[in-house]
Amino acid sequence: MSGSIVVRMAWRTLGRSVRRTTLSLLGLATGCAVALLASAVVRGGMDLRVRAIAQSGFGHLRVAPAGWQASQDRRLLLARWRQTLARVRACGGVEVAAPHLRTSALLAFGTKAAGTELAGVDPEAEVGYNRLIRRMGAGRYLQPEDRGVAVIGRAIARRLEVDLDDPVLVTVVDATGQIRHGLLRVVGIVDTGTPELDASICHVMLEDARELLGVEAASEITIVVPKAAELDRVARRLRARLAEDCEVLTWREIVPEQGDDARSDRGFTNLLIGIVTVVVILGVTSAQLTAMLERRRELAVLLALGMRGWQVVRLVVLEAAILGMVGAAAGLLVAAGPAYYLATRGIDLAALMGGEVAVSGVVFDAILYADMGWWMVPRGLLLGLVAALAASGYPVFYVLRTNLVAVLSLREG
Amino acid sequence: MSGVLASLRGVCKDFVVGKVTVQALRGIDLEVQPGEFTAIVGPSGSGKTTLLNLIGALDTATAGQVLLFGQDLARLSRGARAELRLRRLGFVFQAYNLVPVLTARENVEFVLELQGVGRQRRQRALEILRELSLAEVADRRPREMSGGQQQRVAVARAVASQPQLVLADEPTANLDSTNARALLRLMRSLRDAHGMTFVFSTHDPLVVEHATRVVTLRDGLVVGDETREGAASGAAR
Repeated sequence: MSGSIVVRMAWRTLGRSVRRTTLSLLGLATGCAVALLASAVVRGGMDLRVRAIAQSGFGHLRVAPAGWQASQDRRLLLARWRQTLARVRACGGVEVAAPHLRTSALLAFGTKAAGTELAGVDPEAEVGYNRLIRRMGAGRYLQPEDRGVAVIGRAIARRLEVDLDDPVLVTVVDATGQIRHGLLRVVGIVDTGTPELDASICHVMLEDARELLGVEAASEITIVVPKAAELDRVARRLRARLAEDCEVLTWREIVPEQGDDARSDRGFTNLLIGIVTVVVILGVTSAQLTAMLERRRELAVLLALGMRGWQVVRLVVLEAAILGMVGAAAGLLVAAGPAYYLATRGIDLAALMGGEVAVSGVVFDAILYADMGWWMVPRGLLLGLVAALAASGYPVFYVLRTNLVAVLSLREG
Repeated sequence: MSGVLASLRGVCKDFVVGKVTVQALRGIDLEVQPGEFTAIVGPSGSGKTTLLNLIGALDTATAGQVLLFGQDLARLSRGARAELRLRRLGFVFQAYNLVPVLTARENVEFVLELQGVGRQRRQRALEILRELSLAEVADRRPREMSGGQQQRVAVARAVASQPQLVLADEPTANLDSTNARALLRLMRSLRDAHGMTFVFSTHDPLVVEHATRVVTLRDGLVVGDETREGAASGAAR
């Protein structure tokens, strides 16, 4: 097999200086392990973030009236919402499609009043994804046959001093600018543990909301997909299928501050990985340069025998590739234990942050689990390979630049 | 000119050492004919190795013309010179310079691999080692061989591709007289059997004894060129 001697030479070269090779491998393994662990935690954090956003009522995607994102105008509505909802539900990759009709509302009980966002919902769709309504402090959530009832947050209940079965007066401004009222009986009180969130929860039946506002429309359709990784693909599919009077938004657009946080997290991790990689590359470069200087005469002899410069580069690249692969494999082994621990036991965010973890209306899971998976293998190998190759770049360049005659021991006689 | 392997006309070679320019060769005229067993002799600093480097396409002349197999080396690219070394030249170095991580067979095979020889290269390497009575060390690495064995393997590597011209720099310098004599006999037999041409740089009287031609250098000039046909065969006995 052509090339086999070169492969053997590259492989055996690793055994020339066991101590140097071991140190290089240790450097590569440590770098790979740190980078993989950091990536695993960030990927786990990203999964947690996207899941939390989707399940906090925002969804992965949202179908909104055209122009909504730019104007944020609540008066914009999906007029043909039933057809749109049917199309969304028929689209592959959609797990839940929950229509909402949202408006600002004033709730009153006796002499007490509280402003909030009133959301008309389809309870069957809502329970399929919304984690907020699973935290019932009292009573129950809405049911399909309900009419004239409401589920409110604990903060609103406290403010109004209402309890289950109390009637609250709801005041809204309808599409024509007229003030409209309605009476709703409280059937459930949600207690998320976060007063800010509780103050924004007032769910009523979609039909009741439409009746109150006097419109046959929905504000938006919240969509949850089974695999967050596919949400961009589903978004593209929806954009192609829906009419021009709709726009499809992703969670990054719905909750931009979370998108910024995610980008910031990823940027920091990439910076960390970059720094670790550079440190590893410098360390391995030093070892490789020493190795190359020791072998300069040998390589010069090979060149004298007729080996081309590119063949020397290929030999060194092969050596680096083997070093990188072995280092990466060791790094994977080193990372496997801590990654497994973090993937199964996780990091207790609630303990770290001293209680509930809710940011920008998003309720996060208390435990962050690292994402341990097969993705670590190609990434680790790639990292090891790139680091080892980069570390060999300067040494081989240095060797090839040297004067063949000066290096060879053809003594000047 | 027909049949001449190497032809040097008015060849000069200067080296710049710091601020000083050293003239290693100062107008060399020399031709190497097929089948010669040539020793280049002279005191240290006379330019022997520089001359070998130029003939071996390892270096280029400052002035003058070096024709190797009829090709002007000054007009060849680095790649073309490397190709010439690979296909038509063999090198034997004073310090053997075998690849330490390869066995004797693999060292020989390596050159054949560079030449693009396929499956049969292993067999060819073994044949060469056998011809040079090195079969028993075929699977040994250089550190497991004696100096004499290593130098014979270096010769095997040099002749593996059946080059027309083999250049040897002080090949016996690190060998005792017994091993040196054996090595010279070996190279003579290769010359006789395969028609290879050998050019040595040497201080060793033993090599001179075996040479069919002795070129003497002094201060970068050829001061003697003696053809001694018959002397080598006598010495080889």
